[in-house]
Amino acid sequence: MTRFQEAICEKLLLSAAWTSGSIVVFIFAFMLFLGLPLLSGGHFFSLLTAHWAPQQGSYGILPMMAGSLFLALLGLLFSFPLSLGCACFISVLGPAKLRFLLRKVVELMTGIPTVIYGFVGLFLLVPLVRDIFGRGGLSLLSASLMLALLIAPTMILFFCDSFDRVPRSYLDAVDAMGGSKVQKLLYVMLPNSVHGIAAGITIALGRAVGDTLLALMLAGNAIHIPHSCLDSARTLTSHIGLVFSADFESLEFKAIFACGITLYLFTAVLVLVVRGINHRLRRPL
Amino acid sequence: MFELIKIKTENLSFSYNGNRILDNVSLEFREKTITAIVGPSGIGKSTFLLTLNRLWETVPQSSMSGRVKIRFDGKMQDIYGNGMSLTGLRRKVGMVFQAPNPLPMSIFKNIAFPLKLAGIKDRRTIDENVERALQQAGLWMEVKDRLNDSGLHLSGGQQQRLCIARALVLQPEVLLLDEPTSSLDDASAAVIEELLVNLKDNCTLIVVSHYFDQVKRIADTVFQFPYNGISQQ
Amino acid sequence: MNRFFEIFFVIWSWLSALCLVGAVAAILGFLCVKGFPALNVELIFGNTEPLSALLLQKQVFDGLFPAIVGTLCLVVLSVLLAVPLGVAAGIYMAEYAVGYVKTCCDFLFDILAGIPSIVIGLFGFTLAVFLHKNFSDQVYPCFLISSISLAFLVLPYIVRSTQISLEEIDPAIRNTALALGASRLQNIIHVLLPRALGGICSGVILAIGRCAEDTAVIMLTGAVAIAGIPRSILGQYEALPFYIFYISSQYADQAELMRGYGASLILIMLCTLLFLVAFLVRKRIAYQAFYKA
Ligand SMILES: Nc1ncnc2c1ncn2[C@@H]1O[C@H](COP(=O)(O)OP(=O)(O)O)[C@@H](O)[C@H]1O
Ligand SMILES: [Mg+2]
Repeated sequence: MTRFQEAICEKLLLSAAWTSGSIVVFIFAFMLFLGLPLLSGGHFFSLLTAHWAPQQGSYGILPMMAGSLFLALLGLLFSFPLSLGCACFISVLGPAKLRFLLRKVVELMTGIPTVIYGFVGLFLLVPLVRDIFGRGGLSLLSASLMLALLIAPTMILFFCDSFDRVPRSYLDAVDAMGGSKVQKLLYVMLPNSVHGIAAGITIALGRAVGDTLLALMLAGNAIHIPHSCLDSARTLTSHIGLVFSADFESLEFKAIFACGITLYLFTAVLVLVVRGINHRLRRPL
Repeated sequence: MFELIKIKTENLSFSYNGNRILDNVSLEFREKTITAIVGPSGIGKSTFLLTLNRLWETVPQSSMSGRVKIRFDGKMQDIYGNGMSLTGLRRKVGMVFQAPNPLPMSIFKNIAFPLKLAGIKDRRTIDENVERALQQAGLWMEVKDRLNDSGLHLSGGQQQRLCIARALVLQPEVLLLDEPTSSLDDASAAVIEELLVNLKDNCTLIVVSHYFDQVKRIADTVFQFPYNGISQQ
Repeated sequence: MNRFFEIFFVIWSWLSALCLVGAVAAILGFLCVKGFPALNVELIFGNTEPLSALLLQKQVFDGLFPAIVGTLCLVVLSVLLAVPLGVAAGIYMAEYAVGYVKTCCDFLFDILAGIPSIVIGLFGFTLAVFLHKNFSDQVYPCFLISSISLAFLVLPYIVRSTQISLEEIDPAIRNTALALGASRLQNIIHVLLPRALGGICSGVILAIGRCAEDTAVIMLTGAVAIAGIPRSILGQYEALPFYIFYISSQYADQAELMRGYGASLILIMLCTLLFLVAFLVRKRIAYQAFYKA
């Protein structure tokens, strides 16, 4: 192979990388461009803080942001203890066979389509919640319970990885001192994987905020700031999914670009946070 | 006896992440001899070999200063100079690593691999070269009936000779060997030592070793690392 | 006190494991119980002869066949679009990129991996509208737009799996061919890529799974409830996950709901199958098949 061919190939690979990378910038620029009428004149911030009242010409997305955050945090609240427990079970506490089995179940869960979670949630969980609480079938509670299941595998696998990265020598040291499994976990592995756990939670938060279908199918989609778990709510994502039938030129439609941009920026911030955490992680203590 | 200088390093210094490993090493290696490099581990012997075929360049955050000159086609050439092709250099300066590293292919394909990289397609040439290299490495009789078996199924000593044969197939002028026998049993090591002495007729060998008796048996020149300007012959 | 906490922790860990497995079992069990009775030839082909439907001689109107075909076509086209670009970018990231370019691309791919799929769907939708207004009246949200959007969605998976499986190759192997006079590209083609093939394949399978299950992107970019087999890449189409979503909110009678259960069961079987394939591939089947002398 000649040097010339080598150079050509390298250029091709380079352009593939830049093309892929520029898609990210392109998506943002495109949304910014199309949402411009709404954003110009400093409207963006008022958009973030105003309420949704199309009759009065107010297209604020505050209720959706509140819905997104409420739902994501609630989901995380349910999911985190569950995930931590499972990760500990897989990494240390369970008997060998069960550990393997649980890991496979978790990996299988990553392959279950979101729409299935939504479908089963709708016909199994929603009636259940309605029976128990007397109201609030389609509510933040139903959606967040399913969401907890959806994001659990992400967190569990991430936690397991960060447990695995704890240096062997530390574990050997505890074993040599006659520590039990759970002591090894509590006093050596957990303190040494705090960064990894934080990164896992951040990534799961990103998935929770970005999820569309569960919110759309289970949260009820009412536009108001939710006050309790049994309230119905609309998230940024489901707002995008619902409004797009409206007239393309209307301001109502333009407002969904504000949702899109907000989601995009939120994602970027989370990525920065995770990178910050990982950077910490790599720095020698 | 007058012998030509094959390789010459001038004020060679090397560092990983700013840690100085080699400091102003200036050495000469005579053509068609075996030179041994000895010294405690972690002192930079392997690193020194890597500077002779520029293989260190793939290591991030490493840096080198000084010159390395090798006599090709009758004249001393700076291997870091502009005219030097990297792949051409590595075809003329072969290397054998400490642990045998056959690729996961058949024995034949392993040896023919460098020929394929060099763009040689002629079936006859390939067959001839593979056989010659295996003969030189003393492996021909053992494997000639199972050239299509995986190279990974050979014993440790055979694998190492396979790697030597693979390095020899392009008929290099210099062969660098990094502790080639340290992962082998005594019998296999003896076979390889004998093999190295026979190779002296065709190329210049540099062997890193930490067995002093081995060094005494085969080396013409010995350099002691950490290098301090003194060498023993 | 500590002792108590330790015991509590162990119990809690067991409880979470049970809880998780229970939830998964409930989901799968519920689907199986409800879906199995619906699972038959009629579910897929409706009243049409299966053979003539498969040969595309007759349209299927009341079965899942068009949706299944739609999903398969969608997966194939998106993956075909994403794989060459993604693998090339991954190779560049692992083998060539250094310093500022690497940091920059790394960051961009992280963002791309994190962008919610609905935002990518929104992008695809507006792209279609933009093209419609400015270039050609023929362009609507359609099969092609969906495929492109999905390709964007799964691109980071492919880039990352390629990059990681190349980067984790033992440095000793990396040097083997170089020491034999291989150029950088030869080393990549002959030694590194075959080694990384298993990892790349599991990345691709992950991407396939993602394409097959994603609903948010396609519901904005041209999937509809009734369209028949996709005939042109500029036409609308049906897809399995969208069908399930649609049924869940719009079902008119019990029979339609049953079809929803059946569709869910088919989709989940498809995804489980992919999961099993990925599991086998990760056991380096691809790698061995490649090198068998
Ligand atoms: N890739 C590398 N990155 C950083 N430091 C390295 C690397 N390779 C070797 N070193 C360091 O350089 C020193 C010399 O290594 P080496 O040349 O392998 O020694 P020897 O072969 O004499 O045992 C050692 O201290 C080692 O830790
Ligand atoms: Mg060494």
